[in-house]
Amino acid sequence: MTSLILKRIGIGMITALAVSIIIFFGTKILPGDAAQIRLGQEATEANMAAMRERMGLDKSYVMQYVTWLGNFLSGNLGISLASDVPITDLIADRYQNTVYVSVLTSIVAVPVSLALGILAAMFPGSYYDRILTLVSVTLVAAPEFFTATLLVLLFVFALDLGNAVVVGSPDGKGLFSMYAHFALPIATLSFVIASQLIRMSRAAVLNVMSSPYIEMAILKGVPRRRIILRHALLNAIGPIVNVVALNLAYLVTGVVVVEVYFGYPGLATLIVQGVQTRDFVLVQGLGMIFCLTYVILMLAADVASFASNPRLRHPK
Amino acid sequence: MTEFRKNDPRYGHLNHADDEQLYNMIKRGATRRQVMQWFMAAGATAASSSLLFGSATKAFADTPKRGGRLVMAADQHGPNDTLDPALFASGADYFRGRMYYGSLTRLTDSLGYEPELAEEVISNPDATVWTFKIRKGVEFHDGKTLTADDVIYSMNRHMGADSVSKAASLVAMVDRWEKVSDYEVRAVLSSPNADLAIALGTFHFKIVQEGTTDFSTAIGTGPYRVKEFKPGVRAVGARFENYWGEGGYLDELEHYGIGDSVARLNAFMAGDVDAMVNLPPKAIEQVEAAEGRDVWSIESGAYINIAPRLDMAQSSNKHLHKALQHLMDRQRLVKGVYKGQASLGNDQPISSAYFDHNPDIPQRMLDPEKAKYHFEKSGLRSTTIPIVTADLSPGTVEQCLYLQREGAKIGMNIDVKKVTTDGYWGAVWLKEPIAVAVVNMRPTANILMSLLFKSDAKWNETRWHNEQFDQTLVEVRGVTDAAKRKQMYGDLQTMIHEENGMVIPVHRNYVDAAASHVKGRTHVPLNNFGGSESPVSLWRDS
Repeated sequence: MTSLILKRIGIGMITALAVSIIIFFGTKILPGDAAQIRLGQEATEANMAAMRERMGLDKSYVMQYVTWLGNFLSGNLGISLASDVPITDLIADRYQNTVYVSVLTSIVAVPVSLALGILAAMFPGSYYDRILTLVSVTLVAAPEFFTATLLVLLFVFALDLGNAVVVGSPDGKGLFSMYAHFALPIATLSFVIASQLIRMSRAAVLNVMSSPYIEMAILKGVPRRRIILRHALLNAIGPIVNVVALNLAYLVTGVVVVEVYFGYPGLATLIVQGVQTRDFVLVQGLGMIFCLTYVILMLAADVASFASNPRLRHPK
Repeated sequence: MTEFRKNDPRYGHLNHADDEQLYNMIKRGATRRQVMQWFMAAGATAASSSLLFGSATKAFADTPKRGGRLVMAADQHGPNDTLDPALFASGADYFRGRMYYGSLTRLTDSLGYEPELAEEVISNPDATVWTFKIRKGVEFHDGKTLTADDVIYSMNRHMGADSVSKAASLVAMVDRWEKVSDYEVRAVLSSPNADLAIALGTFHFKIVQEGTTDFSTAIGTGPYRVKEFKPGVRAVGARFENYWGEGGYLDELEHYGIGDSVARLNAFMAGDVDAMVNLPPKAIEQVEAAEGRDVWSIESGAYINIAPRLDMAQSSNKHLHKALQHLMDRQRLVKGVYKGQASLGNDQPISSAYFDHNPDIPQRMLDPEKAKYHFEKSGLRSTTIPIVTADLSPGTVEQCLYLQREGAKIGMNIDVKKVTTDGYWGAVWLKEPIAVAVVNMRPTANILMSLLFKSDAKWNETRWHNEQFDQTLVEVRGVTDAAKRKQMYGDLQTMIHEENGMVIPVHRNYVDAAASHVKGRTHVPLNNFGGSESPVSLWRDS
């Protein structure tokens, strides 16, 4: 088990390294010169040359990459080109929002949707299952901005509850007032990820249910609830935790639409702004953070799969 | 909504319909000039119109109340938000600048200036030496008193080859700033500039403390001090109790960025924020119909245009230009695209929002007969005329489509080529034979014309060369005599109107929205939120 996990960590590190190369050289291909951006249109050639030297842009790409990676590993993400402040400062202001929203969303959405999905797998074909399938497929198909618009129409304009955008600061709020603060973004995101989780957990359990050993258990007369909870569920955990991990990663990195719609600044919006202002340093730093988020969450999912399923620990 | 004081004796001679119209005009942010025109059309003299305007606006302005909190929703915001006045780049920066800092002069709604941190502004007759007497007893947020050294330091940040200022070109003619005494400074100019005091009232020339290099916070003399500032997230100002002047009525003024226009509108309509910038034209009727919500519109000189290049064979035909100018359905653009929140353009850039506007040039309107006449003369009947456009702002595409449609009626074949907005300014603008553009308002006619119409201007869109124009434009910078100046600026506008060939169909307003309890709105036509001048005077009516 330990060696397997170490191997996974190794693979994760190689992935991160490969992504770092792609991110670094990818941003080099983008049009625009970092020194020019930093100094603006009116800069003289002499100023530009001095700035290039100061920023290390006169060295070879490989040397620049090594320096950048070394700085990144020691926690120095560099100075923003657009605003001249450390990238870590920019991220700090937004990381909070992103972490609050994703943690609060997953606390609600993950357990509820897994329970709903497994319950549906217990009674396939029942009215409950059909209605749940209909609702979750509809929600999977609905884009975030559509769900968000409906929620705003219903709660803000029809029922006059809560705010249409996130206003004010979350600082110093307790768990419940935090839920109130981010109510609509959390609701929107819960719908988006819940529908996927419900579909996946139901499918994963049903998939296991069609395997021969379950058939055996049925023939032996084991009650259905016991079959699912004791025999099927452990085997279904692997795919389920993978979907959970992917959804959590999405909550951290991919919620641009929700952040924009509800007007609260988070990491996903920050990287879009970074591209718009050609702030390469910011894009590189955030790209790496997103990559690491994925790698760590997938690693956790793999470890969970190993722990739940002995067959994965002893491959033939 | 504000109760209209029908019984106010100061304009009791107006009948009820007049009252309503006047109220609506002022509520919608009519300029002094518009209201005066309206009064004069109703038979009043210029002098009494001016008086009436003053009393009418004062009557609506009520007495400011102290206290409360307002949240203003901006659009552009991001990690490049800054508190360094020299680096201000967006309306959001300008607004915060007005919250936290003060400047030597303050712009008025008609784009004149009034003294602010300089209590007196004196220029020599040829506008080459300007003297500013600094107001005494003005305190910075940290308790230090404002002196000439702070002013010199602030001004020098816009000077010299290594200046990072985005507005250095506005004061490029200033040779040096000199300290006369602790409360008097002098600008010595290398070439005359009669508009210097106006330029110094614009966004970037805020007064910072001598020696300031760290702009993570703002220690200014403005009515609010920094309570919180996170770039791209939020800025909160708390009232500065020792503010020297009138203003700073709120306990707190928050400036909050919501980039998406739908989200911003939702937040405004739901009452989460008290005002929003850039109301989309399609939402104007919705806001007008809503109880307790006003459109905060300012007539400006910002324009959209179609520029045929004079140095390219396909587009240099003067009769073609006249034909296009007479084919433009300006009124339909104003009504259809801008929902009335725009004014007619007259193929010259200086709209009535500018101080030096020339009202005597006859307005060009849709006139198919004249267009046909010029088109026949041009000899281009069998040629396709290509116009490149992009969705840069409301109207930039529509103006071309309107032309195309009117053109078809007289046998003109216009090919409208729509390209993406991304990269438009680098790859298309100033390169194609006929292309569109969007131009923002500038503080003075001279700045705008020097930037976009002078022969050697980098952004001379039509490549128009006119020596007399260039000469007058440079000469008028030193003219302080009002009548002579008016004459010269009038001529410059006529020259562009007659000869440049550019089609300028409309000047769009700055259209924002505010809840009715947001009072003390300004109407400086340079930017949203009242030219970003409103933070000083805003107050909340409970």
